[in-house]
Amino acid sequence: MVKLNVLNLEKSEYKGGKSSLCPGCGHDQISNVIIQAAWENGIKPEGIAKMSGIGCSSKTPAYFLAKSHGFNTVHGRMPSVTTGANMVNKDLAFIAVSGDGDTASIGIGQFIHAIRRNLDMVYIIENNGVYGLTKGQYSATVEKGSKKKKGLPNEQSPIDLCAMAVNLGCTFVARSFSGSKKQLTALLRAAMSHRGMAIIDVISPCVTFANNDESYRSYNYVKSNDEVLHIVDYIPHFSPLSEVEVPEGEFSDISLFDGSTLRLETVSEDHDPADAVAALRAIHEGTRDGRHVTGLLYYNPNQPTATDALGLTDTPLMELSDEEMRPSLESLEKVNAGFRAR
Amino acid sequence: MDKIYNDFTINVATANGTGSQSSNLIILHSMFEMGVPVSGKNLFPSNISGLPTWFIIRASDKGYQAPGDDTNIQIIMNKDTWDKDLEALEPGTIVIYNEDAKMPVEREDCICLGMPMTSMARGISPKMARLMANMYYVGGIAHLLGIEEEAISSAVEQQFRGKENAIAMNLQAISEARSYASENWGDVCKFAAIAREKSSETFLIEGNEAVALGCIYGGINMLSWYPITPSSSLAEAIIHWIPQLREADDGGSTCAVVQAEDELAAAGMVLGAGWAGGRGMTCTSGPGISLMSEFIGLFYFAEVPGVIWDINRTGPSTGLPTRTQQGDLSMCYEASHGDTQHIVLIPGTVDECFEFGWRAFDYAERFQTLVFGFGDLDLGMNRWSTSGFDYPSEKMDRGKVIRTQEQLDAISDFGRYRDVDGDGVAYRTLPGSGLAPILYRGTGHDEDGIYSENPQVYYEAMQRLKKKIDGSRDVLPAPVIREEEEGDVGIIFYGSMENSIVEIDDMLEERGMSVSTCRVRALPYHSEVEKFIERHDRVVVMEVNRDGQLYGILRKELPKHLIPNLYSVAYSDGLPPKAKEYANRVVEVLEG
Repeated sequence: MVKLNVLNLEKSEYKGGKSSLCPGCGHDQISNVIIQAAWENGIKPEGIAKMSGIGCSSKTPAYFLAKSHGFNTVHGRMPSVTTGANMVNKDLAFIAVSGDGDTASIGIGQFIHAIRRNLDMVYIIENNGVYGLTKGQYSATVEKGSKKKKGLPNEQSPIDLCAMAVNLGCTFVARSFSGSKKQLTALLRAAMSHRGMAIIDVISPCVTFANNDESYRSYNYVKSNDEVLHIVDYIPHFSPLSEVEVPEGEFSDISLFDGSTLRLETVSEDHDPADAVAALRAIHEGTRDGRHVTGLLYYNPNQPTATDALGLTDTPLMELSDEEMRPSLESLEKVNAGFRAR
Repeated sequence: MDKIYNDFTINVATANGTGSQSSNLIILHSMFEMGVPVSGKNLFPSNISGLPTWFIIRASDKGYQAPGDDTNIQIIMNKDTWDKDLEALEPGTIVIYNEDAKMPVEREDCICLGMPMTSMARGISPKMARLMANMYYVGGIAHLLGIEEEAISSAVEQQFRGKENAIAMNLQAISEARSYASENWGDVCKFAAIAREKSSETFLIEGNEAVALGCIYGGINMLSWYPITPSSSLAEAIIHWIPQLREADDGGSTCAVVQAEDELAAAGMVLGAGWAGGRGMTCTSGPGISLMSEFIGLFYFAEVPGVIWDINRTGPSTGLPTRTQQGDLSMCYEASHGDTQHIVLIPGTVDECFEFGWRAFDYAERFQTLVFGFGDLDLGMNRWSTSGFDYPSEKMDRGKVIRTQEQLDAISDFGRYRDVDGDGVAYRTLPGSGLAPILYRGTGHDEDGIYSENPQVYYEAMQRLKKKIDGSRDVLPAPVIREEEEGDVGIIFYGSMENSIVEIDDMLEERGMSVSTCRVRALPYHSEVEKFIERHDRVVVMEVNRDGQLYGILRKELPKHLIPNLYSVAYSDGLPPKAKEYANRVVEVLEG
């Protein structure tokens, strides 16, 4: 029997077109996780808007959620287009895909300001440390000393997008690896249940230009240097808690906006996602030791989103009638009279 | 003394940030109150405090609104420009100056009238003397021109609305100055203001506020903006009017406002709003358009509606940020890389600022493209007369949007970019609807919106876009044509030049030319523009820029046989167009 989700939809309802990325690309694994997470969470495909900028990663919205509208915008500017769409339709669920070139270089300003506004969206960075579509130049997130397949090692300090997001007060910050399907799925499902800006920085190896062992973002390197903060389990609001196995060791539960739960099982040390300083310490210690820290780094729920702050009417603005958008003739007469009386 | 009534120009030279704007507006409004046809122009520096600023007030029974070619009454308050302000005057000019400045006034050939303004102001308020001193030249002017006391009171009350103390103090200052002038200066001024019948309907308003109200009545759903002179007051006026005019039944606003991080983001937000089915708009000036150009191409190619108002200032680069120009016309028309063409609406009056404010959204959604509103600092930030705004005469045009499955099923061969009606405009569906979703993109795409690099697909898509925009020509506002029967010369002009054209026309007629005029109000230009050119052997295209940008557009698009008829008069020095400068150039270019 075909498996159905809570909306009685098959997983195929969430699939997209055929990928044109290189075989083995980490991005394709992430696309599959997006399909899986949206299906498992039972999100209506038509209620999703897929957003992206320019680059290998930004091509991927064509490869998932074919029943959702999407916009493959311009390089580094996806956040502003998402902002405008969010302003006129706050009911859309925005799932955005960007890359490290798209976000950490040309688009870093828009990335920062989208966080600052707490734009209600899921922002996935498919982060491989190189510009793939232009054939393998280093990006600004690549680690000092990391070396791609051809050319010299990178000598510049990296921009850590998660550390930056934590510093900016981003309300949901996570890091994962395209090869960690279980962790990534749980984190993405939690991000989809969050209200506000949810950033997932996903290390996604570039098999063509930087999958050599000297690259800090190759499959081999990440597998042996992945420092997992905690084991994550997602418990949807529509499934009773009792059915989920209670772990033997220590754990903590995080409540998400839609009533779902993210369970964090302690691995070695306890990480408190409410503690921004702890998140930054974990990130910086990882960088120092050449390790990638993955898991839910920081979580700050119940903050006003970009539209909350504006005092908008409840109806999404794009659904308003002409009468609601155009003030009356009498009101204009009043405006004119007001000027005449000045 | 024989008087010249309602035909003079006053120039006030002060320093920025000294409160002189209030004094200048009181002079302007008091004469307006009397029914004197007046206009005011603020020539201000890119500075908050200290740099020189000039305010020009023109009274003209003929309705001339260009800054007068010669100053008749000069007020000098600013030590920094004192000598130069004096030097520039024609013999016989009346000069009002602040004696407390202790500066020499060596113009025996002028009528120089001093007043110890600062020390007199100290008598009213020692603390405020520096600001209050400006009110004394108002009293001086009121005496010289015979501005009615009632009109002055009304203007002062309007200026300091609700601040009883300020009203009393300023009225006292003006009254003291009037008495002083009457006792010490006497009847030396040949110019006078005389009351005319004033329609109770008229009022003065800045073009930017008129556009803002137009947008409000056009159903704007999202304003994104980044502060830049001279467009900021447009955004701020929208923000001002939203609570009053755009509140829904639940008390929430029907228009979101986002102050963007830069102009690129502002344009991106308009694109997002338009894509999602809302009415988005941003306003900026030339430097902003340069930054927005990447997104402007995406609007065009992905066919997303949106509105951008460009309030032109003097370019290139940072240019003269607080001066006016019509320097962005060709940029707006063809902004972004590759082949593009955009609709540009060009209001020439504050009434049209309002009208095009609401119409812009209708055109944007009808043609699924970006629409520019084209204003400038002169029209946008100076005050112009209107008898009140007319309510939109047409219902909102939301364009070809499919909102239901039935509507979608009724189209036999639907594709997001398929021209099923033959007018170049395809049907679109909105995100959230679940109807025929596509991934919008700025890359090449076929009629179904699928990525394509096929040469024929690309070629046909570009031809359809050309056809679509071309189809807007005769839908957009037609030119305003004032035609003389025996008109041998035609003048084509646009935008804020409307405020100078009557005077230019009169000057040319005085020289024996019979001139017809055609004010272009939109690009791509209306077929009536071409017919106007057909009817005249010599057509001068007159504009406020160096290179003749509309002239260039016409030369490119007109049929070959008409091109030899075209002449260009393009001039720009940052100041609002003075009539004589253009009239002389028209004569030169036609005779030369």
